[in-house]
Amino acid sequence: MTGLLAPTYTVDPWDPGYGVARGDELDGRESTARLDVGLEVPAERWQPITPAPGPLPGSVLFLDGVQRIDARIWHHGDGPEPVPGIAASVAAGLVRCDGAAQIVDWKVDRGFFAEQGEDIKTRHATYAFHRTLGGLDKLTFGVTHRMSELEVELAARWREQSGAEDDLLVVDGPLRGRTHLARTVGYVKTHQKSYLQREQAVVIGALGPGQRSPVFGMGTSWERRSWYLRLPGATRAPWAAVVRLECSADLAVEEAVALADVTALVLPALASVPHKDPRAPQNLVPIGGLERQLKHRLGDAGLLYRSLRGAFAA
Amino acid sequence: MPEPNGATDLAVGPNGQARPVGLVVGTVAASPLEFSVGVAADQYLQLDDVVVTKRKLPDGSEVQIAGVVTQIEAGHEGARFASDVFLIEQGALPAEVSEVAEVTVTRVEPEVYVPPRPGSPVMRAEGDARDSALYFDTMADAKVPIGIGRDGQPVYLNFEFVDGTRGGHVSISGVSGIATKTSFATFMLHSIFNSGVLHGEAHNTKALIFSVKGEDLLFLDYENSRLTDAMRAKYGVLGLPSSSFRNVQVFAPPRPGDPSGTPDVRARDRAVSPFYWTLAEFCEQELMPFVFADGEDERAQYTMLIGQVAARLKRDYTKVGADGAISISGVEAVNGGPIRTFEQLVGLIEDELLDEELRRDWVAGSTSTGSVNAFLRRLRSAVKPLERLIRSDLKDRGDRSLTTSKAQVTVIDLHNLPDRAQRFVVGVSLRQEFRRKEEQGTARPLMFIVLDELNKYAPRDGDSPIKQILLDVAERGRSLGVILIGAQQTASEVERRIVANCSIRVAGRLDPAEASRPEYGYLPPAQRQRATIAKPGTMFVSQPDIPVPLAIEFPFPAWATRPAEKGAWTGVDDGPAPPADPFAGLDDDPPPF
Repeated sequence: MTGLLAPTYTVDPWDPGYGVARGDELDGRESTARLDVGLEVPAERWQPITPAPGPLPGSVLFLDGVQRIDARIWHHGDGPEPVPGIAASVAAGLVRCDGAAQIVDWKVDRGFFAEQGEDIKTRHATYAFHRTLGGLDKLTFGVTHRMSELEVELAARWREQSGAEDDLLVVDGPLRGRTHLARTVGYVKTHQKSYLQREQAVVIGALGPGQRSPVFGMGTSWERRSWYLRLPGATRAPWAAVVRLECSADLAVEEAVALADVTALVLPALASVPHKDPRAPQNLVPIGGLERQLKHRLGDAGLLYRSLRGAFAA
Repeated sequence: MPEPNGATDLAVGPNGQARPVGLVVGTVAASPLEFSVGVAADQYLQLDDVVVTKRKLPDGSEVQIAGVVTQIEAGHEGARFASDVFLIEQGALPAEVSEVAEVTVTRVEPEVYVPPRPGSPVMRAEGDARDSALYFDTMADAKVPIGIGRDGQPVYLNFEFVDGTRGGHVSISGVSGIATKTSFATFMLHSIFNSGVLHGEAHNTKALIFSVKGEDLLFLDYENSRLTDAMRAKYGVLGLPSSSFRNVQVFAPPRPGDPSGTPDVRARDRAVSPFYWTLAEFCEQELMPFVFADGEDERAQYTMLIGQVAARLKRDYTKVGADGAISISGVEAVNGGPIRTFEQLVGLIEDELLDEELRRDWVAGSTSTGSVNAFLRRLRSAVKPLERLIRSDLKDRGDRSLTTSKAQVTVIDLHNLPDRAQRFVVGVSLRQEFRRKEEQGTARPLMFIVLDELNKYAPRDGDSPIKQILLDVAERGRSLGVILIGAQQTASEVERRIVANCSIRVAGRLDPAEASRPEYGYLPPAQRQRATIAKPGTMFVSQPDIPVPLAIEFPFPAWATRPAEKGAWTGVDDGPAPPADPFAGLDDDPPPF
């Protein structure tokens, strides 16, 4: 360790536009989460786990969504002040990887999020009204909420159609609100809070590529099981290439451990590389590809903006 | 549920029309002359496919836009880096394969030049739609089948652009050996003679073929023993008989040193005649200029002498005997006697011109000795190559003049002759046939002239008597009914006015450097590139009617093109029967030397 005598520097691997993958308050002090670190192994025996080879899922599904604010709208109602609103486009898609990556389903939805109003019909699209309370800041939560709904809708529809029993669904972001989906894990790329105490956090720093932490139980506003996984392509930045996965708390510990092993076997191969993805390696290749295509399918922003202005000018 | 993939399968049209092969794309701008088609996932388009789309106008009328596929590109959509292909194939990155075909418009009907709208369905043109797209429906009874398109259907040539009605002449370019230029030329003749396009004139229409290289044109009236049933079927598709030529006469120079003048052909023995010119004809028809038919001759100072000497010979020769021997009056007595060989004639001219006194009777007094010497040097060097062709030492059996009146197809075999002699024969026979047609006064029946190595006979630079005649044929021939089917390795080296006068341009395999020359501007870039890898039997045919050259494959010749393919003989031989005793007659009329 030469750090004290000759301080060295590391450039964070993520594009600065996306923030940092790891916050600077990761000593666990701030966390109010209830932890159960002894779920898989006792807390004092925590160490990196190399997954045991086992049966792999027949296909891995990646679920992700994108959103874009097409315009901010002022609704001039009866009140003295106009009411703010947002016209936004959201899209969700599902990629199946089973030898070939294919977008098996996708959906675009456009909504008008405001406290009051009605559907906006434009030349190119219709924005369905969604009553959303709160100020300007809260409106964006409405958009995100709509996107999550779309994602759940797609996932449920696929599960209904496909009839596959051995697939694994990876949802981009926390699993909140989607815990009812079977064989599903949430995939969290950023770590704004540390849920672990210092002793366990050291183990995360020591993970080798493809290794995972033991499964631990976690409860904030909702209960789940979680584990950390290190992808290949790490730099010297702290917690580089580490992602956190979570699954439903309804699963038995053995089931959760098996799921953790499967993710540690499947996901490292899909890590992206820095010159192709600004959030490499955490932003997995299928998710990056899906996001690009979904953004494309949101439609041309300029065209939609003009059509919105046109709709009210007429 | 929307189709998740980019390209979708297109449904059958509402009235049971054929399924669209794709849609007009909007990412590439569509123009009235060119548009691009996104190919549906379960369909394909290949180069040369004919497609058609429609555009509705506000007044309810419909414009039909038809074209030919001139380029196709496939790519991964969703990939940004070349290495993404590995991720896609490993199944990590979602991407779609997209295929976009570029279509060059051939026909807009009615002529309202509007682009097709992006999203319009595009159909494969079949049957009447294909005929209309390629203008075959406007050709009426002037349709000559010239090969099979990539879609397996016949491709036609508008005969009005061959026979002189609206255009004439054919120029065929391509690398020697692979481009199959002469095979295509003979196939064209076969098609013209047999497709019915000549109506009542089919029997009187003639063809004169110069066989410059090898013996491959000497078996036109032999069936091809290697022709399989599958190849015959292709003739069936084109509506042509899979038969060899019926009426072929071959002329070949006499065998060197043979006192009976047997034609120098080893590969065939029927309907063959020798050809040569007697000294009397040489003087009478003023053939002297064709002895000096090289490009280099034209730059020399002695060109005036040629005409003067030829004029004197014509004026002062008299025929001696029945075999074309001559004597010249007004020359030194020792030389005046019967002249029977070209060498004797050249010797006489040498003696006369080298004498300062005698020279004045031949050429203008101001002629310098240097020019005379140059002229004589060139003349002397012509003795060796030409003595087989200009002679009066053989007994005239009446079958030794080149003529096209004996058969429908006349083949002049030049491949045994040195270059200088080839030029002499081509020049003299072309002039003879051109004059004959001029005197005949009517264009019909037509006379086709097939000449390979046009770049040798009508080079871009320089001037020669042959080039003058070929220019005459190219510029006036179509009104006289003389149609040139010229072939050359490099069209860029042929006199521009000749190529410019050819309505039909054909390219086989081209040399890559040659393909980039402006002479091939009629080929779109993709076809130029393709022409450099074209297989034998594949030709790109450009005709004034159709804005895009069409790639065709012509069937394997039904006639033998080499001794190994010789099958049954199907020709006629109305010449004198070969004598039972080949030595008969030698004793009672011995050669006079």
